[in-house]
Amino acid sequence: MPRDELDIRLKNDLGQLEPLIEEIEAFVERADIPPTPAYRLQLAVDEFFNNAVDYGYPDGRAGEIHVHVRRTADGLELTFSDDGDPFDPFSNAPAPDLTGSLEERRIGGLGVHLVRTLSDHFAYRREHGRNVMALRFALQP
Amino acid sequence: MINIDRTVEGKVVVTTVKGRLDSSSSHKLDEFLAEVPGDGSVILLDFAELTYISSAGLRVVLKATKLARSSGLTLAVCGLIPQVHEVFDVSGFSTMIPIHQSREAALAALT
Repeated sequence: MPRDELDIRLKNDLGQLEPLIEEIEAFVERADIPPTPAYRLQLAVDEFFNNAVDYGYPDGRAGEIHVHVRRTADGLELTFSDDGDPFDPFSNAPAPDLTGSLEERRIGGLGVHLVRTLSDHFAYRREHGRNVMALRFALQP
Repeated sequence: MINIDRTVEGKVVVTTVKGRLDSSSSHKLDEFLAEVPGDGSVILLDFAELTYISSAGLRVVLKATKLARSSGLTLAVCGLIPQVHEVFDVSGFSTMIPIHQSREAALAALT
């Protein structure tokens, strides 16, 4: 595995979250990522993975989630993709209303709000039947 | 990957959470906090050794905060590492929940 890159494909199964997080932790250590961007990266992967598994495959079909991370000179580039139903988290998730009841909250609203706010750049595209989220985190926030 | 325990310091019920609060562990804290202490108590969540919280963990904290308020109790947190503090700030939780630097500072302020 290259020192400055991480490339993992996983099944859409919540049991895959723990091994995925272990891979992320090993990556941020070997790529020498400072604590704050390391945390932001882990949070983004965690939130996207949970949203994709929980809501992307309502018919229960098997799917594939792809996580790619690259360390550049001054940042981290994350590309997260899944073959779940089309869903743009950034256009569908307004800032959550914390005063409302938890049940009223939109799906994934709080998690996506965090990820969007803590990233320096975010973009969504639907490509070859996949939801593709591209994010960037500065190494020196 | 999570360790939760409870101690009582006068009228303050301190719940210490160590490890990670994410979608696979947050239900454990949820179950732990479902039991509300008696009248006049203060609930303090000591997060000094909490290394990670996601939206799933924040939901449990928010739920506990609302439960405490509906029971007329105060809920506060203490000891946030900078990255967890950032998540509390960005989510708006910092304006809803009192945050203390340390357990000592929290106990001094709450008793």
